Amino acid sequence: MKALLASLVLSLPLAALAQAPVIQISGATFQPLPLALSTPLTQGGEVKSSATAVDDALLFDLRASGLFQMLDRASFLADAKEGMTAGSINFARWADVGAEALVKYTLTREGDELKAEARVFNVGNGREEFKTAQSGPTAQPSQLAHKVADAIYRHYTREPSPFLVPITYVRKSGANRDVWVADWDGRNARQVTQGGINLLPALGPDGQLGYTSYQQGKPDLYVRKSGGDTIRLKTNEGQMATGIAFSPDGKRVAYALADDESAQIWVANANGEGARQLTDTRFGINTSPAWSPDGKRIAFVSNRGGSPQVYVMNADGSAVRRLTFQGNYNQTPNWSPRGDLIAFTARDERNAFDLFTVHVDTGKISRLTQDQANNEEPSFSPNGRLVLFTSTRNGPSQLFVMTAEGNNPLPLPVQDKAAITTPDWGR
Amino acid sequence: MGMGSNSNKGSGRVTMSEINVTPMVDVMLVLLIIFMVTAPLIQQGVKVNLPEARAAAVEASDKKLVLSIDAQRRVYLGEAEVLMAELEKKLATNAKAQADKELYLHADRDVPYGVVVDVMAAAQRAGITNVGMITDPSAGGRASASSKGKKEARR
Repeated sequence: MKALLASLVLSLPLAALAQAPVIQISGATFQPLPLALSTPLTQGGEVKSSATAVDDALLFDLRASGLFQMLDRASFLADAKEGMTAGSINFARWADVGAEALVKYTLTREGDELKAEARVFNVGNGREEFKTAQSGPTAQPSQLAHKVADAIYRHYTREPSPFLVPITYVRKSGANRDVWVADWDGRNARQVTQGGINLLPALGPDGQLGYTSYQQGKPDLYVRKSGGDTIRLKTNEGQMATGIAFSPDGKRVAYALADDESAQIWVANANGEGARQLTDTRFGINTSPAWSPDGKRIAFVSNRGGSPQVYVMNADGSAVRRLTFQGNYNQTPNWSPRGDLIAFTARDERNAFDLFTVHVDTGKISRLTQDQANNEEPSFSPNGRLVLFTSTRNGPSQLFVMTAEGNNPLPLPVQDKAAITTPDWGR
Repeated sequence: MGMGSNSNKGSGRVTMSEINVTPMVDVMLVLLIIFMVTAPLIQQGVKVNLPEARAAAVEASDKKLVLSIDAQRRVYLGEAEVLMAELEKKLATNAKAQADKELYLHADRDVPYGVVVDVMAAAQRAGITNVGMITDPSAGGRASASSKGKKEARR
């Protein structure tokens, strides 16, 4: 991922950067771009029912991106029948509501296919900057919305958006805990396991899904391939294996293996063979492995210093280094795909859980959440710009998303009465 | 505001536990900052005969949101007509007005004082603290204002 980003940046000609606006996302001076998304123009009555679903999903994607200040449609002054071309748009009316960018789109339906055409306008100079045509299945209108949102995101950032990458999480239902996979915003959710206790799911490359399950009475690791075949990894018999994490290339897995005395981090090939123990602390607990984006290092939690803290080591177990020194209960590390930060959950002096990031090289700690009940289990988006996490701020534990700086926290639009835990955003 | 929200609980005397905001609103309305703006820079699509004034005025910036009231008491934001009933909401949700906390009032000289006050009160309730009154500094202003008017061309 990191290499991919680097090549993206290098391959951009400077002239192209000068022509079109590119939103600089990080830095203290970052200001979200005031963007007006007009309601979709629909053609034909059939498409009307899907239009609301597309519109809701698109609005949420753009709002959650952290790039835009999405302007309130209640303030809009433009004529509802205004057209799609620069010549027919009265830009003064959009400037009067504070818009600097305007997105107009149409929806049409052809049988089982929904089609969208979106155009991005610069309100200041009245020019069309960009247009995109996308299509998706009528049965899942939100998928079309994610494609349109992705195109707009790419236009402004020159980066792929996180909107097309699935997430996984555990949903509690009665005594059962099941693994689910959903689109990034929680829509289009599919149940993967059928009852029992299933925990700590992780998405790997090539559509692999790993999780911990008590199907055979004790925790074991399972991997479901993209085709649907599920295998149980052969870890040391008699021991408890939990918390699978795929290396970025998908060829190796890290996990924790526990016996009566301790828990240690192990690494094996993706099929469970060639297992090798990385940590060795008698009576200590080492758990929650998380790979660095280059696959060379692993972050994990260890209580070897007396309290659970985040540590980093090389992927062969060498050069172990403690990373967090504040607080006495730090857990669930997740390594940013940009490589620089590790997000984790910390329990503070009031016994509330909150999210922090720690810089891998400098050890600098930044706070992401505060005074909003418990916030746990951060997982970076594949581009490292957003963080998915669970929060109890609205009652039961639910999925939220915010920027990697902790700004703009939003609940995912699909909310559930059941508790949702341990999300993982695919790569 | 929830004033007197506990009046239906219990019996007999109840304690008013919240601040009575009515006098505060009055003070706030007084605190609305009003200043005069000269017209020439403002090119509006709405035809309005501006009042003439010889008071000292600031030069208008054409980047501020302009609220017009024409002789028929129709209200416009920019050049889009807005119902009086919706004005407060339109202003409260308007990102530009909320960022500036300022708008220019561009009202016809024949609009009754009461209508202007209603509009200003709506703006004030929507959180706009500065209102610039657009006036015409020149005696010949009336003629030039009418010739410039595009008479709701785009509506």
